[in-house]
Amino acid sequence: MVHNDYIPKLAHILEIKEEVGGARPIKTFRTQFQNKNDFSFRCGQCAMLSVFGKGESMISISSSPLVKDYLQFSILKMGRVTSALHEMQPGDIIGIRGPYGNGFPIKDWKGKNLIFIGGGIGLAPIWSVLNTALGKKEEYGDLTLIYGARTSKDLVFREELEEIKKKIAVHLSIDVEESDWNEFVGFVPQNVTDKKPSPNNAITITCGPPIMIKFVIKALEDLGFKDEQIYTTVENKMKCGIGKCGRCNIGSHYVCKDGPVYSWAELKKLPQEY
Amino acid sequence: MEKILTKKSFPQWVKKLSLYKIYAPVRDNDICNLEAIDNPESIDLDCSNTVLSPKKIIFPQREIYLEFETSDENKLQVKEILPEETPSVIFGVRPCDAKALTLTDKVFSGDFKDPYYWKRRNSTTLIGLACNIPPSPNCFCLSVGGSPHSKEGLDILMTDLGDKYFVESLSEKGSTLINLAKPLFQQPKAADKKAVEKTQAEAEKKIVRQIKDIKKIPSILENMFDSPLWDKESLSCLRCGICTYLCPTCHCFDINDEVSSSSPVKGKRVRTWDNCQFPDFTMHSSGHNPRPDRSSRLRQRILHKFQYFVELYKDYQCTGCGRCISKCPVGIDIIEVLDKVSDYGS
Repeated sequence: MVHNDYIPKLAHILEIKEEVGGARPIKTFRTQFQNKNDFSFRCGQCAMLSVFGKGESMISISSSPLVKDYLQFSILKMGRVTSALHEMQPGDIIGIRGPYGNGFPIKDWKGKNLIFIGGGIGLAPIWSVLNTALGKKEEYGDLTLIYGARTSKDLVFREELEEIKKKIAVHLSIDVEESDWNEFVGFVPQNVTDKKPSPNNAITITCGPPIMIKFVIKALEDLGFKDEQIYTTVENKMKCGIGKCGRCNIGSHYVCKDGPVYSWAELKKLPQEY
Repeated sequence: MEKILTKKSFPQWVKKLSLYKIYAPVRDNDICNLEAIDNPESIDLDCSNTVLSPKKIIFPQREIYLEFETSDENKLQVKEILPEETPSVIFGVRPCDAKALTLTDKVFSGDFKDPYYWKRRNSTTLIGLACNIPPSPNCFCLSVGGSPHSKEGLDILMTDLGDKYFVESLSEKGSTLINLAKPLFQQPKAADKKAVEKTQAEAEKKIVRQIKDIKKIPSILENMFDSPLWDKESLSCLRCGICTYLCPTCHCFDINDEVSSSSPVKGKRVRTWDNCQFPDFTMHSSGHNPRPDRSSRLRQRILHKFQYFVELYKDYQCTGCGRCISKCPVGIDIIEVLDKVSDYGS
């Protein structure tokens, strides 16, 4: 029988955690396949989630491949499918197909200092690789997380961040002053400039809104990081996930298949159309 | 295998192919459509090219991927719906449209083979018809590596020689169809072969439109991403999308759920043709759009066909059928655009 990549596998939602409320809510979903889990993925890869009757949406996997009990997705409520996901309850059935995309080249990063720079929901793809590095901490150098959001209420994984702070350097930021906030106030790129991470033997992984990524790259360049040391992920509207439906391309690259992970050295060579 | 079939015998050949589903050009007043036919007499091989290419049969405009339903036990079930492998024959395929299928073949192959496409593709035999007269004043196949009598992608090529066809089998699938009606076919004479050669040479001379410096276009385009040309050339675009819907090589599609009941949920997931000339083709749910205007979308159409596709598959994603030129309501002409690209590079 021919393998049919368009048919999702069924999975049920194990648990839903409300990360962020308000007008731009974020929820984290832990899911488990109904049948045997033969879904093996790399950090930075994505999965196409189905809400049957609503459609599909490409979401980055926020759990580490080291975790075998569930697949985790942290999702900002935005369009038709993500809004439907936000209405769902534990026990509800979704479809999952994938994994898609290239993932982070973490094998090449052994022995290096890793600096994770995230903004808002951009921590989701970082979360998978950060937790993988934390799980195999002996294989890497120093790990640092620089993460920010609009307000303290918009930060995701708050509880887990408190735990991670005990293990690695974590530098949080919010855009605007709040009364009980003791950490950096300002945009994420400003926090990068303020914390001055060293480019020596380092790789940076930055995910967040396009405008943040643009200024983070600028800040890193000013700190002496080379294009090859800067990694980011690109988002584009996707439907098929396998490089055929034609909409997520940047030049001859299909983000679903050839991305979403790019080094700045690779990305700057492509047409700036994303 | 080379044979001669008289025009009088042609309907009898079609009748012998009763095990196959037959598609052929059928005239409807001024236009010709590719339709499934029961009566061989309705086939019109003197038609100009069909409005839609055989792409519409191999990669239909709407295709069901799967069905989903909630069972009585409140259990969600998903059923894969693959097309039936109906042995099919398409008559009257123009060489440009056959070549176009060899290009969509590349897209639907690779790491992820598209089972819907290949089920139909593998069960279809393509019978070509050489273009003795260009079917459209905007034909330009010679510019993009084709010709009015190219055999690429075909199982049989038929050439009209007045009261008979010169029938050349190009594959096993093609020979099978001829063998099903062996007595109807005759051996060609030396004069027939000469007539074919003469017809073909004359056919090439009748194609008037061409792209200048096509070979230079991909490398010129590499440096034209930010050119003002795209603004200028796209000003009149109505974003109707006819250029890509009618294109035999365009393959972009959408995937959506069609729901017949929302609670308990029941419906189908379908693929439909989509179109890079539509604003929401690339628009994120946040509203951000990487290709927000006509200019960036025309640029995408041209660059995809003459730069990106060349980078990926070493071929132009265009076979020179001329449909996008003839049917554009505002006269955007891909040849004129590419000629301006050439000028830009010189």
